[in-house]
Amino acid sequence: MKITSSKNITSIILVCFALFGVLATNGCVGSQKIADKSGMKLWSENCQRCHIASSSNTFSHEEWKTIGMHMQSRALLTNKERDKIIEFLQN
Amino acid sequence: MKTNKLITKILLLAAVGCLNTNISSAQDEPENPNAELSKQVTALKPGESNFMMAGLVTFGFENHATTFKSGGIKISTDKSNSIGDVDRYEFSPMFLWRHGDKLLAEFEPSWDGSQIGVNWADVSYFVAPGFIVRGGYIVLPFGTYTKRLAAGWINKLPSDPMGVDMAGSDFGVEVQGGFPIGNMKWSYDLALSNGFQLNNDGTIAGVGISAINNGKTFTGRVALLPLSNSSLEIGFSGLYGSLATPQDATFSNIDPTNTKGPNLSMYAVDVNFIQNINPIQLNFKAQYSAAMVNNMNYINPIDTSSYTFTNTTSTYFAQLSLRPVQLKNKILKKFELAFRYVNYTAPKQSAWGQNYSEVDMSLDYWLSWRTVLKLGYEMINSDGTSIHNLNSPELLNGTSLGTNRMVIQFSTEL
Repeated sequence: MKITSSKNITSIILVCFALFGVLATNGCVGSQKIADKSGMKLWSENCQRCHIASSSNTFSHEEWKTIGMHMQSRALLTNKERDKIIEFLQN
Repeated sequence: MKTNKLITKILLLAAVGCLNTNISSAQDEPENPNAELSKQVTALKPGESNFMMAGLVTFGFENHATTFKSGGIKISTDKSNSIGDVDRYEFSPMFLWRHGDKLLAEFEPSWDGSQIGVNWADVSYFVAPGFIVRGGYIVLPFGTYTKRLAAGWINKLPSDPMGVDMAGSDFGVEVQGGFPIGNMKWSYDLALSNGFQLNNDGTIAGVGISAINNGKTFTGRVALLPLSNSSLEIGFSGLYGSLATPQDATFSNIDPTNTKGPNLSMYAVDVNFIQNINPIQLNFKAQYSAAMVNNMNYINPIDTSSYTFTNTTSTYFAQLSLRPVQLKNKILKKFELAFRYVNYTAPKQSAWGQNYSEVDMSLDYWLSWRTVLKLGYEMINSDGTSIHNLNSPELLNGTSLGTNRMVIQFSTEL
């Protein structure tokens, strides 16, 4: 009974992944409202989801690029979000 | 003759031209005030590679009193304290190498006061927007706590929720990315790894770099951020794989005709919500996860009798924190108050069976955005549901363990 239950749960999870796959292949286009967001706005919204938003003088110009790639893979930011946030923190 | 004259004229003109150029260059040098600055800037040109070291340190003081009861009668009380905080001390430097904007290698060793481990050691290739490929010793994408929230300077309470690290890190490959959809965002994170083995008491453990079975474990998480300001994130995770059977295994299938090995299924749901309600910033985080293994016959090491149990382990936590970020007072706005409830249920009649609950609260003071001082208080209760356990009598059915703990903790990310 329990094995059947775990198989059902696994099936539900696979269906969820398939659903998201369909969403992905049908084109993921952000709205103009999202595209127009500044680096400061994105920094404020995304960093504080996990921790207090970082101060720009913490790292050097080059280090922010490295940290940006590291954080993109943790918070799963889009490339545009990452680039805008890095640019904001570098200045 | 005419030809010779023409060549002579050309040579003379060329010589005069060169002379003019040299003279004008010599005249330009002192007139270019940026030449020296230009040289200095060129000397500082960063190149396309970058190496940096960051990392974190968590250190503290812990004082606790634990009462052991059997059949409702108090048997013993243990009081002790430790400088350094034996359960939570961590020194973890993090090394990052970047090559251009495509390759990133990450390595984080960690010393917990008694042994050195590795949190992750991997290399990522940023193939295209929304498509990152990673390989090595990776943090499995199961829930969000282990990957995003476990660091002491991020965690708003002094300890980690019980059982939240069920998946942990493993050797494997991973693909991940994030995309916008209209005003929303979604992300995916999928991994294929060596997986786990089933131990003789029904617990699971990672097989490490040398997998002892052919089966691999699939782990994945998809998440949706439905609000345009990314303030709400809902994630769904799943893990499935066959469990390796160690050479000294004493367990067996309940149905002797079934030759298939045991399987592991896990799933999790996580939520993160952040909202500013002047002058407070409110943050709610929660995660539920469960792990299920096929029922097997196990051997009781005490009397070699056979027993079985429903091998399902579940854990959840809900956490609320309040930070007065919009206060004008520079001292008060650095405080944060956090609460958390944790529940962990290990299988009844297993060797490690228990119903565990924990209520935590912490008053934090943020010295900077990445340095925090926490004053925490934790109330823990655990009721044993095990039918046999020589090493941990507090887990036997009918016993209970109650702990009150006070923690002062400092954590920083450098």
